[in-house]
Order: sequence, then structure tokens, then C-alpha cells
Amino acid sequence: MNESRAKIRNCITIFLVGSPGHVDTWDMKPDAPDDVRGKFRPISTNVSSVQICEHFPLMARMMDRVALIRSLNYNTGASHENGQRWMMTGHDFSPNNVQPHIGSVVSRVFGPKGDLPASIILPGKIGNTGAGPFHGQTAAFLGSGHEPFFLGSDPASADFKVADLAPPANHSEPRISARRDLLGQLDALQRRADSKSAQDLDASYARAFNLLTSSQTRMAFELKHESDKLRDRYGRNTFGQSCLMARRLIEAGSRFITVNHFDTVFNLSCWDMHADGGGLNNTYLDYERLLCPQFDIAFTALIEDLEQRGLLQETVVAVLSEMGRTPKLNPRGGRDHYPPAWTNFLCGGNIRGGQVIGSTDKIGAAPHDYPVEPPRVLASIYHGMGIDLETTMMPGPGGRPVRFIEAEPIPELF
Amino acid sequence: MEQKFEGTPQAEIRLEGRRVTRTDVTHDWGSQLRWEVKRNGQVIATPNARLDASYEHPEAVAGDYEIVLQLFKYVNYQKDKNGEYTASKFIEISNKVAYKVG
Repeated sequence: MNESRAKIRNCITIFLVGSPGHVDTWDMKPDAPDDVRGKFRPISTNVSSVQICEHFPLMARMMDRVALIRSLNYNTGASHENGQRWMMTGHDFSPNNVQPHIGSVVSRVFGPKGDLPASIILPGKIGNTGAGPFHGQTAAFLGSGHEPFFLGSDPASADFKVADLAPPANHSEPRISARRDLLGQLDALQRRADSKSAQDLDASYARAFNLLTSSQTRMAFELKHESDKLRDRYGRNTFGQSCLMARRLIEAGSRFITVNHFDTVFNLSCWDMHADGGGLNNTYLDYERLLCPQFDIAFTALIEDLEQRGLLQETVVAVLSEMGRTPKLNPRGGRDHYPPAWTNFLCGGNIRGGQVIGSTDKIGAAPHDYPVEPPRVLASIYHGMGIDLETTMMPGPGGRPVRFIEAEPIPELF
Repeated sequence: MEQKFEGTPQAEIRLEGRRVTRTDVTHDWGSQLRWEVKRNGQVIATPNARLDASYEHPEAVAGDYEIVLQLFKYVNYQKDKNGEYTASKFIEISNKVAYKVG
């Protein structure tokens, strides 16, 4: 691997599917009217000018590492999928112009560091969030060799194993290698056609065989090598153990890990706080008792763990969501989708923590200053990873070189 | 996909004077952790136990006090017409300690 590729930092993205209400979490409005302010109170943090929700007490102790962006916004539709596409690709694309996930871009341009895929999504892909199949978690035109590797299994399960890494009982490693040789011969015939799809398949097969035969790769997925104390610190739940696995995978050489906090918004406790009394009945109770504590524990464990292992400076951690939630409570006491304003945050890498970028008005309805659109966040992630967006191109549709993203990083973050 | 929660959470608590201190929670599900404080059998406070491992209830009203550590157990998000969970609930994960005032 050449030196410039080796210098590129890693990234862990935590994606909060459903979207937390910004006024209830990281952009509180304690002086707003009752129907805006909501139920929770702000608490002080270790950065004197910054307050956050009382249900993030552990995060409040490490705000000096975190840069909040409180003026995120976009003006296209208020669906989860719109927000997912914006925040995972930097584009609001149509089905005939699908854009690649940020991890696939990193995979395509910088490649894997070892046998592990460059981009991995934990614990599984986003499924039904209400408005179609385009969630922005594919390689799109970058080819199947750069599709994210989906874990597809729950690391908090007692019988956890990665399905794709467990060959059938009667398939020994020599037998797998023999099949690789045979496939190689078939590929040589196919390659005569010299088509791009054949090359893509080559890359996919090579990756699959590497995953199956590398003991280092399998070990990276095995949480049993971690102490019980550390596993407890992350929280013994799907999200917490996924965050722990993210650290293991970065340590083992993967470049870009995405942790989806939930794969749907229907019929389960998640951030999508409509309080509709039916299939979208998340309320303050879910935030208070489950979601905020679960996030607070896992996120702070991840930052501490990365820091203690000397990995935080080498790893940008981005906490992203699709949009905000309505500043005014709905008649049922919930909040609905709201892209005109919300808060996400970054830390690690060369991100300068302990600061707030942008602000919203008195009720959190719109950016008051420094409005930031999603592509700038992705540009900042790339920049935080050490990628020079002026000189590094990726192959676009048809193979012509294009910029990673049509936006500039937020300079104050660095 | 519902979140899975691994193992059975447990902690020990001990009393020194009126201050109660907990150990780390093993198999911590990462949900809301709280002290349940009762006086003469009635719940009078449920302060958060996540941030600090010790707590001293500030009230000195005469009575028999009992404290236990509770963790929220998520089963599903179903709620009744009053907005309370129907199956998910707080469960006790520690021994109980007791003291008397007055």
C-alpha cells in the first residue's frame, strides 16, 4: 500500500435511524414555550457554554471532545429515506442516479488495508423506513467489489456468529481453496470478455474468499476476546455490542464502519417519536428509559475505548441522523419529521472538540446562523480522515473522475 | 429487528450511614438505571443511578427506608392509553438495604 493511502484515517459513523428530536437532545430550548420546550431539562457539560439533555450525563463529561453542528438543514422531502440518502451519500438521488455510500467511496479509492472489507455496516442493513428501498447504503456505480459488508447478525445474541464467515461443517479450508482455484479458471474464461462486470465479480469473490479463510478476519468479529467489564461498559444490547465491534474492526484494519441504530422505525422503540398510538408510538418514555441511556453509554464507551488504545486520533467518529423533529409538540405529545433544522456531531481524528457550529432560532425551527447542508458534513468527514478533496478523485458513472462530494468542509471543525 | 439484551444484569449495593453505593452492573443492558427509594413501603423517589455510584437520599422525614437498584427491562414498546408501557418495566437487580430515621 502506498504511503498516502496508509495515512488516511478511519471513520466510524453511528446512524440514528428515525432521527432524535433536536430540541429534546442536543439543541435544547429551556426558555421556549411549554409546547416547544418538551419534557426534558438541559444539564451543564464540561464545556461551560454547552448544555445538552439531562439523559446524556456521560456524554456531558466529554463534550470537550465533541463538535456539535446545530444548524443542519435541507429543503427536500421529509422522509427518512431522503435524510438517509443525504447523510450517507451527500446526495438526494433518484432511482436512476443512485449514489454510493461514503464507505464505498473510501473503499473504491483507498481499498482495504488487509483481508477485512474496507467498509462494514453493523449490525444489518436499513430495511423498511416507510418510503422505498433507496437508503444510500450501497456502492452504486462503484461496483459490487465495494459494496459494504453487512454483518447481518446480532452481536448481542448469545449464539452470535457471522453467517457469511462460517463455512458449512463439511467445507474444510482446503476444499474452499480448491473451489477458489476452480473459480479462478472459470474467471479466466470469463475475463476474455473483459467486461467491467466480470472485474467487479472478481473483486467480490476475492473478498469473499479472504473473509472465509483468514483467521485474523474471523477473530476481529469475535467479541468473546473482550473482557466482560468492557462489554458491560458498552451496554449488553445490540447497539452497544455493535459499537464495540466497530472498534475491533477498526483496530483490525477496516477503514469505515457504519453502525445503524435500528433498521426500521415501525413497531419498536426507536428515535422516530411520533407518539401516534399505533405503529409509530415512540414517546418521551422511550427516549428516557431506553434510547438516550443506550446511546449515552455506548457512545461514551466507544470514545473512551478508542482514546485508551490510541485510536481516537486515527478515527473520525460521526453521529448522524436523517433530520430533526418538529419544534412544536404534536397534539399527542410527539414530534414529527423536520428537515429544516437539526443537530449532528463529530469527534476524533483531527476534529476540534468542545465547540458548537451554527445555531437555531429561539424554538429550533430554522438555522439562526451558519446553516449547514448535509454534503458539508460528509466533506468534513472526508477532510477529517485526511483526504484532500481538491486532489483526490473517484471514478464517476462511466469511469470519468469526479469529486468525492460537491461541497467544502466546515473549516471551523479543524 | 428488535434490540437484543444479553444476560441477567446484577449489582450489589451497600449502606454506609444513609449513603448507598453500588458496584458496577454486570451484564448491564445499558437502559435507565435508578435507585428506588421507599419510605414505610411507599416509593418516594427514583433518582438516576447511572452517573454516580453513590447516592444519599436528602429527606430526613422519620420512617423506615428501603433502597434497591433498578434497571429498565425493554420487552416491547407497547403502551396503554395512558402512555405507560404494558410489558416493559423496571426490574430489581440488586440486594436491598434499609435504614431507619427518627
